[in-house]
Amino acid sequence: MGFDAIVIGAGPNGLAAAARLAAAGRKVVVLERSEAPGGLSAKREFHAGYSVPGLLHDEGLVPRAIAEKLGLAKQGLAFRRPPATYIAEKNGPGILLPGDTAGAAEAISKRSQRDAQSYQRLRAFLDRITPLVGAVLAEVPPALAPGSAGDFWQLARRGLALWKISRHDLLELARVAPMCVADFLNEWFQTSLLVEALAAPAVASTWSGPWSASTTTNFLLRECSGGESIEGGPPALVKALLAACRAAGAELRTGAEVQRIRLDRGKVAGVTLALGETIDAPLVLSSADPKRTMLKLLAPGTLPLKIEEEFLRLRSRGSAAKVHLALSGPLELTASDGRLDEAIRIGGGHVDELERAYDAIKYRRFSDHPHLEIRVPTVADPSLAPAGHHVVSILASFAPYGLDGGWTEEARERLGEAVISVLEQHAPDVRRRIVASEVLTPVDLETRFALTGGQLHHGELALDQLLVMRPSPSAARYRTSVPGLFLGGSGSHPGGGVRPTAGWLAAEAVLGA
Amino acid sequence: MSSKQYDAIVVGAGHNGLVCAAYLAKAGRKVLVLERRHQVGGATTTEEIYPGYKFTCCSYVVSLMRPWIIRDLDLPRHGYEILPLEATVTPFPDGRYLVRDSDPERTRRSIAQFSPHDAEVYKRFGQEMAELGRMIKPIIDQPAPDPLSRDPRELLRIARLGKQLRGQGDDWLFANVKMMTMSAVDFLSERFESEQLIAPMAISGIIGTFLGVRSPGTAYVLLHHYMGEIDGSFRAWGLPKGGTGAIADAIASSARALGVEIRTEAPVAHLLWEKGTASGVVLQNGDEIRAKSVISGLDPHRTFLKLVGEEHLDPEIAQQVRRFKMRGSSGKVNLALDALPELACLPGYGPHLQGGITIAPSIDYLERAYDDAKYGAFSRKPFMDVLIPSMTDPTLAPPGKHVMSIFVQYAPYNLKEGAADWPNQREAFGDTVIDTLSEYMPNLKNLILHRQVLTPWDLEQIYGLTEGNIFHGELSLEQLAFLRPMAGWSRYQTPIRNLWMCASGTHPGGGIMGAPGALCAQTMLSKRAV
Repeated sequence: MGFDAIVIGAGPNGLAAAARLAAAGRKVVVLERSEAPGGLSAKREFHAGYSVPGLLHDEGLVPRAIAEKLGLAKQGLAFRRPPATYIAEKNGPGILLPGDTAGAAEAISKRSQRDAQSYQRLRAFLDRITPLVGAVLAEVPPALAPGSAGDFWQLARRGLALWKISRHDLLELARVAPMCVADFLNEWFQTSLLVEALAAPAVASTWSGPWSASTTTNFLLRECSGGESIEGGPPALVKALLAACRAAGAELRTGAEVQRIRLDRGKVAGVTLALGETIDAPLVLSSADPKRTMLKLLAPGTLPLKIEEEFLRLRSRGSAAKVHLALSGPLELTASDGRLDEAIRIGGGHVDELERAYDAIKYRRFSDHPHLEIRVPTVADPSLAPAGHHVVSILASFAPYGLDGGWTEEARERLGEAVISVLEQHAPDVRRRIVASEVLTPVDLETRFALTGGQLHHGELALDQLLVMRPSPSAARYRTSVPGLFLGGSGSHPGGGVRPTAGWLAAEAVLGA
Repeated sequence: MSSKQYDAIVVGAGHNGLVCAAYLAKAGRKVLVLERRHQVGGATTTEEIYPGYKFTCCSYVVSLMRPWIIRDLDLPRHGYEILPLEATVTPFPDGRYLVRDSDPERTRRSIAQFSPHDAEVYKRFGQEMAELGRMIKPIIDQPAPDPLSRDPRELLRIARLGKQLRGQGDDWLFANVKMMTMSAVDFLSERFESEQLIAPMAISGIIGTFLGVRSPGTAYVLLHHYMGEIDGSFRAWGLPKGGTGAIADAIASSARALGVEIRTEAPVAHLLWEKGTASGVVLQNGDEIRAKSVISGLDPHRTFLKLVGEEHLDPEIAQQVRRFKMRGSSGKVNLALDALPELACLPGYGPHLQGGITIAPSIDYLERAYDDAKYGAFSRKPFMDVLIPSMTDPTLAPPGKHVMSIFVQYAPYNLKEGAADWPNQREAFGDTVIDTLSEYMPNLKNLILHRQVLTPWDLEQIYGLTEGNIFHGELSLEQLAFLRPMAGWSRYQTPIRNLWMCASGTHPGGGIMGAPGALCAQTMLSKRAV
């Protein structure tokens, strides 16, 4: 049986692409290798009775405009103010940083009046450049070498957006974008605890530390994209997208792993599933990572050498591990006196400690004192664990995909132990409350979730792998060099995190074609 | 009180100050150059630190001196002569070594012992880089284009530049974008596979910066290595006859011939003010010298925070100046040697000692050296660029004796104990350098007659390089082109009327290039500012 389009992968990107294509009247099927849709945003039971709402914590990236165009509100998607983040501190009160500017400044002022003002001025700067950066994040990257009238029209509109921003802000943007995020934040703040906490998201699951040049770009791209959390977390986004797909008539098949993208006389003809079944369609939109799609799903030798090289060169090394804990009680931090925090960050208290954690992976080791980005989803949704129990989802930085000696069972245990002993310094009883735990090394992430290199962003975030260069020059605008094959996953612009943008834009590119 | 009236006073007789003065004089302007030290040249200097031995104390090779400046100022007639650097040797702990020299076949064979694939790629690499460099060349020979300008003429100029670039084709464009944004190691790893080649090649991306070979933006600096070829001459690097100081002397002599007046041992205290504009300078001895305009050959920090004085600066500008990153990352060790040292891996005194000897055995080695510096210590195992200039120019040392120049990175200006602690750590730093080098040159220690150790702190004290930064400010992406030294002030003009800047802290930046000085003079003349 035939379809107009096959979408590979039922994560937010794949589902958004399918919904968009189906809404445009195309006959679409989404093929998902695992038993449930959602990809990295799928609710996941890691121990009987204990679930995490997906692997990723950064859900503040969904552009409202695209959510509206997909009609997700009608399907029950609701935004909420992001939870306060508790920045823990060795023998200190730490900082409880609310999701709103005023509240955050208030909290910071307890440490430093100057930093509180700086924070408000920084947010103001970010708000002023958001019309530009936000727009770039919500549309097809501009052509580096404009050819069509459309390209010029797009550049013209961007030029106009540029014009609206003061020259002063533009020069500042140009100055800071290539900077390392440590230098950038040190220009604003004197509280080292705050600098480290603000810098960490910019380097999370990238192959760079806060002293790596251009990490400020990652910071700006995050801070200029919405920032609203999702009611019910990532799975709620998946639920709404599934409803949108159903409403538009897109078909979903789970447990259907694509083994090969079939070509006929150089054009896409369909796919072959792992179980041998073949499905025909003149168009395939893959939300799998670019290396997997172009180097594994396509038959070897399909691509011209030059194009194949682009994808071989794409850097996609995982640098973080996930640790999930099932606790028989709440996660109680000594310093947060009884308050249950939903979002917690545990670092070394200084940006240099974050850099040291990164140094480890340069030498193919994992950090003995990893930086922990923690979510306790059971605070907002107790149904994820038995009554009174809790689950803790931890992103631990840094741990390299290519560990010296390989990721043996023993290495995995040492990593888990390193994470727990850091956690223990702030939550003394955590160890005896552990009912079960799961450690996912970059290699585990690769094998279980089909992420090349265990790279959570489907490709490292680096200046030369962003915008018109993401994932590679020949495919930066979703259309690949293979007629009928499109890329629309986190490996494409605007990149990873819990957001449907790349899939939506890829579908737009298909329909524009 | 000097009543003489000058058109322009140049503060600092470094090579850029001298070039700027010469160009203004060539256009008929009356120019005075004031130098704090007893000799001209600034960091472009040759000094007899130990009787009979002439050290190229700071900068030690030349590659970027713009050919049109050499022609305009007729430098060869004033003693400017470059002796080509024959080769680069990179010894490895395992006793093997890599030679890259002017003989392609020998180079190919040397690389092939580590990777036949790389040997083949290397042959084409120089050409590839030269082609990529076509974008850089027009940019370093002109004032920096300002893409954010709202001046229609500037936008037109950029549109034209853009059209030029478009003409080069997409592949070339993408390659350039990658070049500007990648790390040296990532860029080289896309072409080469053997670390023994990648590591020594990557170092040209980090010299004088506070970055590691894996930091984005370092790939771009690799291009500078190939500028020589872009200028049409075969070899990229050379040694000035008489040491780098001879270049400064040649420019000074050319400048004098054009009517420039140069005063040494005339330290400037601060600007002379009249109705909020610069009207000359006040010397430390109290003398006031007036001029239509003042041109600073000092780095941006010195220019604005000392020469001008923060009290005369708009706070916004003062903040921008303070945010301009200086932080020197390198030091220099200069040796007087009783005889030639021998390389353990390559015994004997062959031509290999005539070229550079690069201590960069692996990428991890370079990264570890960088990590030490990040946390405020000098590298326990530093990267070193070693030269024996007396092999090429015997006049630098007595017969049979030699001078050795060792460029050392990393040596962070800001030690965790504070910069002021450098005097206490200077000798330890020197020992680390000699010990590390001795691993490759076993007989070195017994040959040392005299040792000069220049830490970043010393470079600041002696040569007035703020924080010991040899490029008057880091050559990192955010401090290049229209952002150098400050957003909105990249055209040699400063926020202070009649005060201009002409040194490495302005576009196109550091190295013995002369372009900033010449471009500053040309800009002033075109604006009728002098």
